[in-house]
Amino acid sequence: MPDVERLEKVIEKKAAVAPAERERFDTWWFLVLAVVAVVALLVFLKPNPFQRIVVFLRDGIWVTIRITVISFVFILIVGLIGGLGRLAKNWLIHGIASLYVEIIRGIPLLVQLLFLYFAFPQVLDSVGAWLLKLSPSLRGAGQYLVDVKPDPFVMAVAGLTICYGAYMSEIYRAGIQSISKGQMEAARSLGMSYFQAMRYVILPQAVRVILPPVGNEFVALLKDSSLVSVVAVSDMTRRGREFMSSSFMSLETWTMVALLYLVMTLFASRVVAYIERKTAFAK
Amino acid sequence: MQSEIIVIQGAVKRFGRVEALRGVDLVVHRGEVVVIIGPSGSGKSTLLRCINHLESLDAGCIIVDGIPLTQAENINKVRAEVGIVFQQFNLFPHLTALENITLAQRIVRKRTREEAERIGMELLKKVGIPEKAHAYPAQLSGGQQQRVAIARALAMQPKIMLFDEPTSALDPEMIKEVLDVMLALAKEGMTMVVVSHEMGFARAAADRIIFMDEGVIVEETTPELLFTAPKHERTRLFLSKILH
Repeated sequence: MPDVERLEKVIEKKAAVAPAERERFDTWWFLVLAVVAVVALLVFLKPNPFQRIVVFLRDGIWVTIRITVISFVFILIVGLIGGLGRLAKNWLIHGIASLYVEIIRGIPLLVQLLFLYFAFPQVLDSVGAWLLKLSPSLRGAGQYLVDVKPDPFVMAVAGLTICYGAYMSEIYRAGIQSISKGQMEAARSLGMSYFQAMRYVILPQAVRVILPPVGNEFVALLKDSSLVSVVAVSDMTRRGREFMSSSFMSLETWTMVALLYLVMTLFASRVVAYIERKTAFAK
Repeated sequence: MQSEIIVIQGAVKRFGRVEALRGVDLVVHRGEVVVIIGPSGSGKSTLLRCINHLESLDAGCIIVDGIPLTQAENINKVRAEVGIVFQQFNLFPHLTALENITLAQRIVRKRTREEAERIGMELLKKVGIPEKAHAYPAQLSGGQQQRVAIARALAMQPKIMLFDEPTSALDPEMIKEVLDVMLALAKEGMTMVVVSHEMGFARAAADRIIFMDEGVIVEETTPELLFTAPKHERTRLFLSKILH
């Protein structure tokens, strides 16, 4: 019975792999715990200044997490649209998606954030004034654009989404392209539409391929979210700067901020690794 | 009901500068089994893939069951009537054998899960591997995968089945199990167009054999006549190569 033998081999392979994987799993979680322990030790053994710092940073930690998670949800959506756009046969859609990716990837995130927060409102202002002059029927829209004040949080999410969305588009594109052409052909030959084939056949496979790079993007985003501190968002980094400028304890403040980022990124990358293992399927 | 089910007229297909099809005319009747043979690069797979519009023609036309393959809305209609089995199986690796068979039934034919699974299990029995229903493609042998692929295509209740070198990627000991399924299908009266060099199958099941070379049909004949009295020199040459 060659089939039974094959199956047994597959099972054996899985069994052989399992203990090693579990071991690595535990080691890395141990590192997360170790960093948490260092933070806890500092807070308990030397409450002044470390406990004060953590209490002061608390709002900022929450803002950092919120801004990262909310942006990431939008990034996943923008990335999917951008990735499908890059693969589109229609030259216009393909062109727009490619232009977006190329332009955004060529501008530093910090500059994009500064532009969005400081320059973009001026653009809206000018457009609004122009609309007001153009016709009385557009008064409402024009006045709205002139009056609108950018919300730092919204602008920060928009900036991170636009920037990371471009990188994510490329990850989706590569992931979808890595699935053999025969899969799309088989799905289409069974009468599925392009989007049904994407939804049920291509994307479920592509997701497993892109999960590691997507996880890396999440961790990178978590770190890059510190840049939003320049556009008046009170994230962890900005709160750290505020504490330092009132207390002049740079070493203690930035040590604590660095440790807290480290806890978050290590934790996030462990969660990604866990999901990766959960969704793996026999190849 | 007219007896022609596939009508191909003046089919031309180019890939860049290469002309894969250079004016092919072919009529297939209901219930007929047509086997296409020919050297690699002769355009036989391209012709097959044009019948359900995996490739589009540059000139000429194809009419399947009275529906011309020109407008976009016709293509999905035709595809639902035409099953295709690929050389590389192309099973969906993230789904079990049974899920491979039920997916399109549910989202294209709008069948309920129960109904789709009932049909799926019947078909798995028919191709001889009901016990593999919950195995993933990677856990199946090549022959088993190809049989699941045939069941997947049959689940859509197609009027025509296309086979694109279904046994070429298989180990020799697995070819028979796939050919047996195909023979049974032929006996049931399924219209089949098969690109294959399995001469045993051709002899047993084919109503007609078509020999293609360099994008045209060189010879159209019956299995008996092909082996005893091939008309063209090129056919003779090709046969001598594959039979020895």
